[in-house]
Amino acid sequence: MVATPVRTPAEQALAARYPAERTSLPGTADVIAIRDAAFGGVEKSGLPHRRVEDWKYTDLRARLKTFPPAAGPGDVARVLIAAPAVEGDKARRLVIANGRYRPELSDLEDLEPGLSIFSLATALEAGDATVLAALKLDDAVASNTAVALNTAFMTDGLVIDVAEGAEVGRPVELVHIAEGEPAASTAVRHLVTVGKAARLTLIETIESLDTVAHHSNVMTVLEVGEGAKVDHIRLQLEPDEAVSLTTLVARIGREANFDTFNAALGAGLARAQIFAEFAGRDAQAGFRGITMLSGRRHADTTLSLIHGAENCQSRELYKAVIDDEARSVFAGRIAVPAHAQKTDARMMTASLLLSEEAEADAKPELEIFADDVQCGHGATCGAIDEDLLFYLLSRGIPKVEAESMLILAFLGEAIDEIQNQAVHDALIHRVEGWLKARAA
Amino acid sequence: MLEIKNLHARIGDREILKGLTLTVKPGEVHAIMGPNGAGKSTLSYILAGKEDYEVTEGEVLLNGASILDLEPNERSVAGLFLAFQYPIEIPGVATMTFLKAALNAHRKAKGQDELTTPEFMKLVKGVAEKLNITSDMLKRPVNVGFSGGEKKRAEIMQMALLQPSICILDETDSGLDIDALKVVSEGVNALRAPDRAFVVITHYQRLLDHIVPDIVHVLSDGRIVRTGGPELALDLEKNGYAAYVADAAA
Repeated sequence: MVATPVRTPAEQALAARYPAERTSLPGTADVIAIRDAAFGGVEKSGLPHRRVEDWKYTDLRARLKTFPPAAGPGDVARVLIAAPAVEGDKARRLVIANGRYRPELSDLEDLEPGLSIFSLATALEAGDATVLAALKLDDAVASNTAVALNTAFMTDGLVIDVAEGAEVGRPVELVHIAEGEPAASTAVRHLVTVGKAARLTLIETIESLDTVAHHSNVMTVLEVGEGAKVDHIRLQLEPDEAVSLTTLVARIGREANFDTFNAALGAGLARAQIFAEFAGRDAQAGFRGITMLSGRRHADTTLSLIHGAENCQSRELYKAVIDDEARSVFAGRIAVPAHAQKTDARMMTASLLLSEEAEADAKPELEIFADDVQCGHGATCGAIDEDLLFYLLSRGIPKVEAESMLILAFLGEAIDEIQNQAVHDALIHRVEGWLKARAA
Repeated sequence: MLEIKNLHARIGDREILKGLTLTVKPGEVHAIMGPNGAGKSTLSYILAGKEDYEVTEGEVLLNGASILDLEPNERSVAGLFLAFQYPIEIPGVATMTFLKAALNAHRKAKGQDELTTPEFMKLVKGVAEKLNITSDMLKRPVNVGFSGGEKKRAEIMQMALLQPSICILDETDSGLDIDALKVVSEGVNALRAPDRAFVVITHYQRLLDHIVPDIVHVLSDGRIVRTGGPELALDLEKNGYAAYVADAAA
């Protein structure tokens, strides 16, 4: 006898939605087959719960109350006038509204030589062989629930290529905007390939114009070519009602230099996943991020890094500030296979708890099979240091302001690694806004 | 200016101050000397409002008003300044940001407008120069990477900027070489004024050669056991605290 688990409302919604939508989603028969396989996996196992190790601290089955319908096209006029999340960064903004790439709202003028930008939906409809190949993922990634749902429901996204040796001077900013009511869900996939010795700064912002329970699922697959330099920064800024799933898949080539930063500043339920792999020797990568939580928000950062080549160096630094009854999760796994000698990896996560009920869960994991490596990890969790606070107070600085200074200092170690000044400043501005709201 | 009346205080179950009484008038410099464990640093922390200590009896008045119910920042803007024995390093908080926040909190309390950045820079640079504080030091996070002497000079700089009415110097001489001691003492002496008083807490006579006190107290076992003029400090340097410790125990 096979026991049939009770389906939650979210699972029921998913089961009803996929068969109804599968043929109207963009893509050839080959794409539908890939979608079917992905959805089949989710349907078979259901949404992951706390007994699934990867989701132990973020019980998606319990936390996802619904799975809203697919987003409509949205009101383009409202999207057009929305204030940009980052000012003054001279970025090339590419707008994805309600899961659809909007070239008419995007800046496509004077593309730098070697930079090409296409719609994923168009490529899927055309059955583009390169794009289809790029949809294939390692099993461990493909079977991840957030990834599988993205594969099943993706409506659009950007296919960005930077040719060998091309230096893209202006940052490329992927602006994700959800617009309209009632709540809807979106799934967007970007495929970004940066050729040998090329350079790119890729910014992602994810926001919503309405305070409703939108679900967003944004996935970026990034290929960092040999000797390439790529800087990736994501600002996740949705309202407290929203659910936000993001996934970054990065393959880092030989002698490449890659940095990624995630600012988890929004959504009631957020999970930022990174699946990264060193695919060639002598490469360097930095993985950093901050999380700021209040109320009953929950944010999860899950990093899986395969140090798959010799003499690669990585630095991981994640900092969380948690107030009220909020909860922050960090799970970081670094695997060093036997051949990856001279690996140098240092992973650190630190949480600052601002209330008695705040919670931080940290799970660092190192799996090391090579013998000539330097790998370290650390996790700290604590309240604001009373001695530091007293010193600031003793100079007349009011308590809330003193706490804000110390919180900003705590986060600064991670934020100050952001190379792009405009994004750095935009983020500091957001952090200060959060601190002001707390002080009010 | 500062009146401490029959002050009793404890940390945990241990009573540290056992009925301390002290009156400091405007313009005066008082020295408090005493052996290790007498309660000197406890006194300075209690005056500044550190939470770890519990005041069980007595009162502390600053310009006639009780300060024991005030938060540390309120005591600061009311005119009390503690120069720490061990100034705290605060990584990630820029010195200038810190000084500006402190200065503006004081100005706000006095109903004054915030200083503009050029005004603020000019003020800080003027004060820093007199204390041999380089612009490189001002660019660093608060006290981070400062030597012992630099930290003490930075404390005096803060004191000069905030213009308190009562300054508590907690073992400001500890960790200072002769040259640094001179710079720090000159900084303090420059701040002596008819409307400002100092309480200088120290183990040694040495500091009092440079900052000459009007009145010297001996603190032992949580009480002032002897009060005299500057000659008392010389006597202590020569004969030690043994006689007073015995007195207090008796």
